[in-house]
Amino acid sequence: MAMAGGAIRLDGIEKTYGGANGVRAIATLTVELRGGEAVSVVGPSGCGKSTLMRLIAGLDMPTQGSISIGGAPVVGPVPDIGIVFQRDLLLEWRSVMGNVLLPAEIKRMAGLEARAGELLRELDVAGFAEAYPWQLSGGMRQRVAIARALLTRPSLLFLDEPFSALDALTRDQMNVLLQRLQTTQDVTTLLITHSIPEAIFCADRVLVMSGRPGAILDDIPVPFDRPRRLAVRETPEFTAIGRRIREHFEKAGVLVG
Amino acid sequence: MKGRALAADMIWPLLSGAAGLALWEGLVKGFDVPVFLLPAPTDIAETIVAKWSYLLSQLAITVMAAGLGLVISVALGLMAGAAIAGSRFVDRILTPWLVVAHAIPKVVIAPLFLVWFGFGLRSEMFFVVAFTFFPVIVNTVTGLKSADPEQLLMVRAMGASRLQVLQKIQFPNALPSICAGIKLAVSLAPVGAVIGEFVASNAGLGHLLIRAVGDTDTSLAFAAVTVFSVFGVLLWRAAEWVERLVLPWHPSQRETLMLRDATT
Repeated sequence: MAMAGGAIRLDGIEKTYGGANGVRAIATLTVELRGGEAVSVVGPSGCGKSTLMRLIAGLDMPTQGSISIGGAPVVGPVPDIGIVFQRDLLLEWRSVMGNVLLPAEIKRMAGLEARAGELLRELDVAGFAEAYPWQLSGGMRQRVAIARALLTRPSLLFLDEPFSALDALTRDQMNVLLQRLQTTQDVTTLLITHSIPEAIFCADRVLVMSGRPGAILDDIPVPFDRPRRLAVRETPEFTAIGRRIREHFEKAGVLVG
Repeated sequence: MKGRALAADMIWPLLSGAAGLALWEGLVKGFDVPVFLLPAPTDIAETIVAKWSYLLSQLAITVMAAGLGLVISVALGLMAGAAIAGSRFVDRILTPWLVVAHAIPKVVIAPLFLVWFGFGLRSEMFFVVAFTFFPVIVNTVTGLKSADPEQLLMVRAMGASRLQVLQKIQFPNALPSICAGIKLAVSLAPVGAVIGEFVASNAGLGHLLIRAVGDTDTSLAFAAVTVFSVFGVLLWRAAEWVERLVLPWHPSQRETLMLRDATT
């Protein structure tokens, strides 16, 4: 059970694939997420964010440094984390409810049906509990995937480019929904995205990452009150943060124009 | 609209079948073809009616051999398939044997079955197994290996054990493929049983067929073939029905109306 959302510490981690002369995916990285904090990581393709996900989830070990969640060091697969992937990864042979309850079955936790129903309601897909995934639109499928990730009350919700396959309007809806969840659910969120506005809108703090090997270029606090409305994106403060992030990418040669 | 489409679906195949039978009947009667050479459809129908209970009793024997063989084959195929998909070691050890076993022409080794397992049901059963185990194994292996790697990663991140990965992801994901393998086996099983009866039995439709041909009772041979074919079609239909029951979610079973069109 999460205690006020677990704090996540990445302490001097490095990840190299394939021995000493291998590919350096992540250069020395130290960062701490406070419990309940919403953090976005924005960076170009290949900045090692998938590696970061595997490391935090305990599916892979860093070459150097250590990771801890809520004070406990990560040494193997971490059950206390919910992951939302770019693809929703819903199981086609299960109903929406069956999909949401999957983590409870795997972790052998009983009595989470009511919680699943609540989450589906909060994500506005309560009417589809008995539907099969193929009957849902892309946005609805991703809502179900989020409900599944939150079911067992993990202390960390890790979102790996969750909305990049959605159309622009649906993506806006999902941004609003996510920032609402960040206030209602007691969970630390780590959102990985390529979209600068999305990174700012859904976070208390934006980490700007460089291309490979991944390193943190900037750590920017986002001061806007919650709940946020999409109109906040048109304020001068929002635009200023966006410019600051963009300038990092321009300097790195990622954005030229 | 739907009723009319259904009627058209039924009417043309039925008309086509009836026309074919009428042509057959007309040619046989018109050219006065002797019954032992080629019986007319009406002759075959007469024989079926006259020897109905005999034909059914022989069919029952064939069905028994095909059914038992099929059960053994599916059980073996699923277990071997799971072992091969689950372990590269087992894969390397077992797969060459399977490929060789499948490449051996089964009709050629049928007399050996007679030597090993004797006359009758046991021999026939093994013959059915030899005919049907390969599609079950191959489709089980393919199905189990075709799970989405990201879905596997996801459940591993949830802390799933190997058994849970198999149970929650790999097996349900493989089910359409396994069903396809079993359907193939279902269509091969009666053929295996009949060939088994040709060689190693003194009962069943296969044996009846051989004897009828030997006695130049061509009408009876055709009657046996007709009964056998009807049985094959019914078995196939049954397999499709079971498949629909097991895979309600599969794309092949979906209705064209998508809920999302009505809701967004």
